[in-house]
Order: sequence, then structure tokens, then C-alpha cells
Amino acid sequence: METIESLVGIVVDDIAFTVERGKIREFQRATSTCDPVHHDRAAAADAGYADVLATPTHVVVAGHYRDQSAFVSMLGLDIARIVVGSVTWEFGRPVVAGDELRGIRVVVADEVRQGRRGGLMRIVTLETPYCDATGTAVVTVREELIERGASS
Amino acid sequence: MRPAVDVSVGFQPEPGSFGPVTQTDIVRFAGAAGDFNPLHHDADYVSRTGFRTVIAMGQLQAGILAGWLTDWCGVEHLRSFTVRFSAPVSLGDELQLSAEVIDVRTEDGVEVADLAVVARCGQTAVVHGTACIQRRSS
Repeated sequence: METIESLVGIVVDDIAFTVERGKIREFQRATSTCDPVHHDRAAAADAGYADVLATPTHVVVAGHYRDQSAFVSMLGLDIARIVVGSVTWEFGRPVVAGDELRGIRVVVADEVRQGRRGGLMRIVTLETPYCDATGTAVVTVREELIERGASS
Repeated sequence: MRPAVDVSVGFQPEPGSFGPVTQTDIVRFAGAAGDFNPLHHDADYVSRTGFRTVIAMGQLQAGILAGWLTDWCGVEHLRSFTVRFSAPVSLGDELQLSAEVIDVRTEDGVEVADLAVVARCGQTAVVHGTACIQRRSS
């Protein structure tokens, strides 16, 4: 078995962006989501918020600010053998237009397991708390990346 | 403020659907999310991999499933959402979205409901997971 150095604790990337109304609307349409709180400020006000609310998985837009092939090679993984196994979003509050979010993505687990079809799978878990201007985590995302064995 | 939903174990919101998935749906999501992996838009590239057609990014079906859920329960009442990707979604696939309350409990002094959520193409679950939402106690 090849020896793999654990990646736990490595900062994968550090990004910052403003949550924009237009991007919320774009993402709402792309995910076929209907609730007017995502595009109508009056509906958002009725729900108790100062501006429109982002759809639940909105911080996926961080993809615009990241370099996928750079982080994959930085982690020593083979992009052709990687699939995303699971993703979790944990909310402190909804994401609101105007939020200034900063997301520092860190490796929190790095394990090798036996795959169901034989061969070894490497499972790398990344965690990103997206913090607002006060430093409070608004939403925390955990992604589990699976790298299938080279021979399977 | 909008009230949280009033649900108990076994409750199922009205099912949803999406599709058939088109290349336009995938490209629209790629532009919204910033996912430009050629597996999702470049048929020539895809033909050199093991896939039959372009496949959707898992975040498309995850976002559709999450958005369908919060259209019903209110995005401000969603506490957590977890999905596992169990099968790829190809062009032409139709997604059926459903959920069921599997537990109700109190968490940090808040009444919550746990739901099992799933997106299926035919009989195949393509995305499945759990959601925790705030609920109104009756």
C-alpha cells in the first residue's frame, strides 16, 4: 500500500465575495426555485429581512472564485478519479443580499477506505465556514471528495 | 416573519419534478455557479471519458432539491441540508423530488423536524440525504 501523507489542517483556499441580488436571481432560476423572497424585496421584508434571501445552496457560487484544478493538484489528487460523495450545509442564518462573506476552506479529514468493488478509495473532507463581516459563520459547507483507486 | 411549517412524523410535502434535463439547464447552472468542468458541457471531451453523454454537476440536482424543499418550508427555516450523490444525471433525465418527515425533536430549544429527501430518475435515486428544518409546534 502506498503511503500517503495526511492533508488534515491544510488551507485549500481563502476567498471573499459580496452576495449580489443579480447572482441570487441567476442561481434561483438555474435551480428552478420559486419563492419570491429570493427576488422581491417586499416579500423578503415580510419574512423579516432587509434584502432578498439567497437560495439554500447559494454559496456554491464560490466556484467562480476558486481554481478547481489548482486545488486538486495541490492536494495531490487525480482530477480524473475524483467524485464528490456528499455535501452538507449548516446554517446559522439565511444568506442575505449584501452579505460580505469570506470562506476559508480547510481539509478536516483524509482517510483511505476499502471500496465496495475492491481497491482503495481515498476520502478527503473539506470544510468551509462562510463568515460575515462580524466574523460569524452564516453557513458552513462540508464536502467529501472521493478519489477512486487507480486500478478500479 | 413567516411561520414555520406544522408537520409531524410521516408528513410528505407535495412532490416536485424537474426536466427533462437539457444542455441549456446545465450551462445555465454552470454560469450561475462557476463550474466549468468540461464533463458538463463539452460532448467531445465527454466522448473520451466513460460517460454516455454530458452529465449534470451534482450541485445542479442538489440545488434543485434544496430549492424545492425551501419553496415549501421557507429558506429561513432550513437549519441543515446534507446530500449524497449516488448516480449521475444525464441529458434527458427527469428528476422526481420528494421528502418525508422521519423525526421531530427539540434542538437548542427549537422545535425541529428531520426529513429524508431524495431526487430520483425513474427508480434510481440520484441524490438522497437529510434536511433539518424548524417546525411549528401545534
